[in-house]
Amino acid sequence: MTTTATAPARTSPAAGATPPRNDLPTIRYTLAQMRRSAGRLTAAGIAILIGTAFVAVTLIAGNVITRTTYDTVAARYADADVVVKTGADSWQQDVEAVRAVDGVMAAQPVLTGYLDLSAGGGRSYGEAFALPDDERLSPLRITDGAWPAARGEIAVPEQIAERLEIGVGDTVTVHGWEVTDPETGEGEETTEEVTVSGITEDLFKAYAASGGAVVAMPQDMVKWSDPPEVGEVFEVMAVLDPSVMSDGEPTAAIREALAAAVVSDGRPEVLSVDEHAAEISAEQTGGEDLVFLVFVLTFAAVALVVAGLVIANTFQVLVAQRTRTLALLRCIGAGRGQLYRSVLFEAFVLGALASLGGVVTGALLAQIALWVAPRFDLGVPLPSVVEPTPQVVLLPLAVGVVVTILAALAPAMNATRVAPLAALRPAAAPSLRQGAGRVRAVFALLFTLGGAGLLALAVLVLHDDPEYGLLVAVAGGALSLVGVIVGAVFWLPKVAAFFGRLTGASGPAAKLAAANTLRNPRRTSATATALLIGVTLIVTMATGAAAARATATTALDLQFPMDVMVGAGATDVPGDTASRVADAASVDAVAEIRTADGTFSDNGYVTLSAAAPDALRGAVRDAGEVDAIQPGSILFSPTALKEWGVEAGERIEVKGPGGKLPLTIVVTESEAFTGFVTEADLAKVAPEAELTQVWASLADDADPASGLAEVQEALNDDGLMVLGLAAQRAQFEQVINLMLGIVVGLLAVAVVIAVIGVTNTLSLSVIERRRESATLRAIGLSKSQLRGMLAVEGMLIAGVGAVLGIVLGLVYGWAGAATALSVMGEVTYPVPWVDLAVVLAVSLVAGLIASVAPARNALRASPVEALAAE
Amino acid sequence: MDTTVYVPADGTRAVRARALTKTYGAGEAAVHALDGVDVDFAAGQFTAIMGPSGSGKSTLMHLLAGLDTATAGQAFVGTTDVTALNDKGLTTLRRDRVGFVFQQFNLLPMFTAEQNITLPVQLAGGTVDREWFGTLVRTLGLTERLTHRPAEMSGGQQQRVAIARALIAQPDVVFADEPTGNLDSRSGAEVLSFLRRSVRELGRTIIMVTHDPAAAAYADRVVLLADGRIAGDISDPTPESVLAGLDALRTLEPSVATGTTPVVPEAGLR
Repeated sequence: MTTTATAPARTSPAAGATPPRNDLPTIRYTLAQMRRSAGRLTAAGIAILIGTAFVAVTLIAGNVITRTTYDTVAARYADADVVVKTGADSWQQDVEAVRAVDGVMAAQPVLTGYLDLSAGGGRSYGEAFALPDDERLSPLRITDGAWPAARGEIAVPEQIAERLEIGVGDTVTVHGWEVTDPETGEGEETTEEVTVSGITEDLFKAYAASGGAVVAMPQDMVKWSDPPEVGEVFEVMAVLDPSVMSDGEPTAAIREALAAAVVSDGRPEVLSVDEHAAEISAEQTGGEDLVFLVFVLTFAAVALVVAGLVIANTFQVLVAQRTRTLALLRCIGAGRGQLYRSVLFEAFVLGALASLGGVVTGALLAQIALWVAPRFDLGVPLPSVVEPTPQVVLLPLAVGVVVTILAALAPAMNATRVAPLAALRPAAAPSLRQGAGRVRAVFALLFTLGGAGLLALAVLVLHDDPEYGLLVAVAGGALSLVGVIVGAVFWLPKVAAFFGRLTGASGPAAKLAAANTLRNPRRTSATATALLIGVTLIVTMATGAAAARATATTALDLQFPMDVMVGAGATDVPGDTASRVADAASVDAVAEIRTADGTFSDNGYVTLSAAAPDALRGAVRDAGEVDAIQPGSILFSPTALKEWGVEAGERIEVKGPGGKLPLTIVVTESEAFTGFVTEADLAKVAPEAELTQVWASLADDADPASGLAEVQEALNDDGLMVLGLAAQRAQFEQVINLMLGIVVGLLAVAVVIAVIGVTNTLSLSVIERRRESATLRAIGLSKSQLRGMLAVEGMLIAGVGAVLGIVLGLVYGWAGAATALSVMGEVTYPVPWVDLAVVLAVSLVAGLIASVAPARNALRASPVEALAAE
Repeated sequence: MDTTVYVPADGTRAVRARALTKTYGAGEAAVHALDGVDVDFAAGQFTAIMGPSGSGKSTLMHLLAGLDTATAGQAFVGTTDVTALNDKGLTTLRRDRVGFVFQQFNLLPMFTAEQNITLPVQLAGGTVDREWFGTLVRTLGLTERLTHRPAEMSGGQQQRVAIARALIAQPDVVFADEPTGNLDSRSGAEVLSFLRRSVRELGRTIIMVTHDPAAAAYADRVVLLADGRIAGDISDPTPESVLAGLDALRTLEPSVATGTTPVVPEAGLR
């Protein structure tokens, strides 16, 4: 775009040109109109408020994370003024060189690592750094004892001292690993006894994430942890004389001097500590933090889409209610454009006010979280006050306004369609245009079918490729969901009619409610759709999680049918292992597995295993496989069949150290049972088969993790390998449940907004039907019947949205499971009944609650109003 | 205060008002919409309440029907003191013993004519008396319209459905508020003759509020109201006698300001 000096000429008034466009009356009219509809707009505004508050909180959380990273990084450099980054090849000379530069008061290499410490029976792992020469360069303080004064001394944080039960003057062992053969990388463990010289305190939370830090002499740090390696970035931090600082920043001259002083390869970088911390936190913000932000913002987007639906619905009704006024305005000369702009201006004001409220609410919520958070020891230095950056304020504001205006576009268009003549007609009940266009039908059909097609493609063709399969399934799901939402107006009322007939049988109030639900199909479907979106996504997640849980459990069960397995590690399995394991309190049953190597055909290899059938049956989760072990047969998993090119039912001759035996192959689904034969058969081919594994099952009520610990304690032998498969299963389940909980929590916001939509719709219906409610009251509808009617109406709308959402969610969840989980083995398609029941119940209760306020309003209508003339 | 009780010429009383008073506002700004009205309405009769705008005729009807609460006095439907009932009692009264016909018809748009007619019985949880339903539908000429929704019917037809709805529960009394106000004169005449037939052939009691002398002439008796008080009583009215009665009221208008409106001498109207 160009600007020229002649621009002012444009503004000179030209007589007889286009009349000046003056929207001031429109604005005044719009604001007056908004005051009249304040109640209705408030409900719609809350939807936007929640959505924008969601966005604001997410952005603030992002900022807090960045800020925390920054503070942690900055704290680690204590009172240093400058960080010199260089190559690590001559790091020791670099430190000396920096110290020699004029204006440097103290300098210290940044040497950190992890130390493996033990004392008495305890063992602990702690972050450590080299003791600085100058106290100003240490982020820690000593609370007890002194800093290490010589090699072989360390200072430990309170937390480690407590865990190892040590104090100043006590001895601890530092465990290291020394590579003895650089070729193979083999080495041996080293230990060194050191003395605790003091206890450190992490006042500035520089090492809060690790629970404080161990401090050792630099020479010891280099010895115990990996020294700086060539090619890595090495840092020297330094305290500068105030004479080489300006405004708290190092001067350009000292920066140049420092850069020139270092000798290592690579271009040295000289940064102030602030710059360095900002750089590191920016790196993190662009990486993992960004992923987190995008993830959470996706849910904020869902919430905003739902809010948009609620807004669109509200404006449709507002326009319908104002038909007469709009027509009157047209009669007295208002142009279509003015009415269009008036509605959009209204949306703008609503969006701006609500978004502003959202930003304030979001900031308040974040502030409350920051006030509460320090009570839980989170191990990070959280800022105490929310910092309102422009991004945090402007982005939610912009998003809220844009969503509101977009939602109001169609209603604004409707406003322009009001004919001036409508003002002259007798007042009729406001009605929205019934039915929907053919374009909408075509779009809905294309999206739904296209999406379903992609979904089918993902499930049927791409199920072996989880990466692309899931991508295609997500795209298909999103596409078909859009189609379903766009097309909802065509079929959702019919579903509502069906449910209405079911409920209508229960009494006159329910029958009235059912009939009311169908009066305005468009509004009912829009309201139900808002809820449907949230419910669909939640049920999709719940179903996916259930499928993942079931599939993983099945896969784990097949792979590891026992709860605990003890096998040979550094030492062989001793003969008394089984009895020791059985002594553990949580252990229910144990089985001793004896194995021997066997060969078959020309190059076939199989580990022959056998155990006492009764013991084995008790030690595994599924005894079915045990029954398959019969004399003269050997179990093979499908994978083993494929590997050796044999088939089920085939007879193979197995050779062992003690002889040959023909065996028939029987298929087992479990890898763990491959090679199992009866004890007698094993004795025939390998009379001296050794005890190699002990399988155990835990009591049903035992905690898997503590059960594992008990077994380990009972064995008291580090050389044995102990696998806690029950613990693994439990952990897996925990992870899935946690993830599901987070996702459902985030989606719940969308559901809350949708419920506000239901309230809004009911309130509008109540206002519209004021005369009708009064008539019903006049002809004998009791207050409780009126209340019941609205309750049924709310529950009907919510119920329809929930039921359809559940059906869609199940389909999407299964499709997702089919594509994402097929690599884990046979996918199971469970119906998470409990989750579904909870979703349905919550939706119905929400519908019921949504009817309370509108019902109170409706009851205020006196029967006299039915008699009043217009 | 006027203590004359305006009693119908014959028959038992279906509805009575005793010192019925309704005041809006208080003190200086108090408006006496109804100022101690005593009036009886006979069962099995078609009575019209007439009067100029603001005379209190609608207020009287609201109070008699239990739609509004009285400031003082009593209103009886049969022997029930309407002014003593709570909301629940009023709801039951309206459902079982009182019927309404509105100026705006007020049919439920989503229901058919038949569903609209039977709605009060369904709200009460009762079963529809098919014989009575048939009689009503035949009398009101709705046989062909039962499956139609309000939007598919003319104003007159809608009002006939509303009348059937008011009568379905066989109430003690039906209140009609300007039932012809939204109809053209032909449909209006039709509706009024149906109302009269309901009284003569079906034995119902109807009290109608109207400001149309021609409509009032369909009634058996006209009660004139002015300034919140009974101002006249006309038996077997004709449009002319009703007009004459109204004219008599109008001549009294200047005295309204003084608040000392004398009762129109009824002898002259009888």
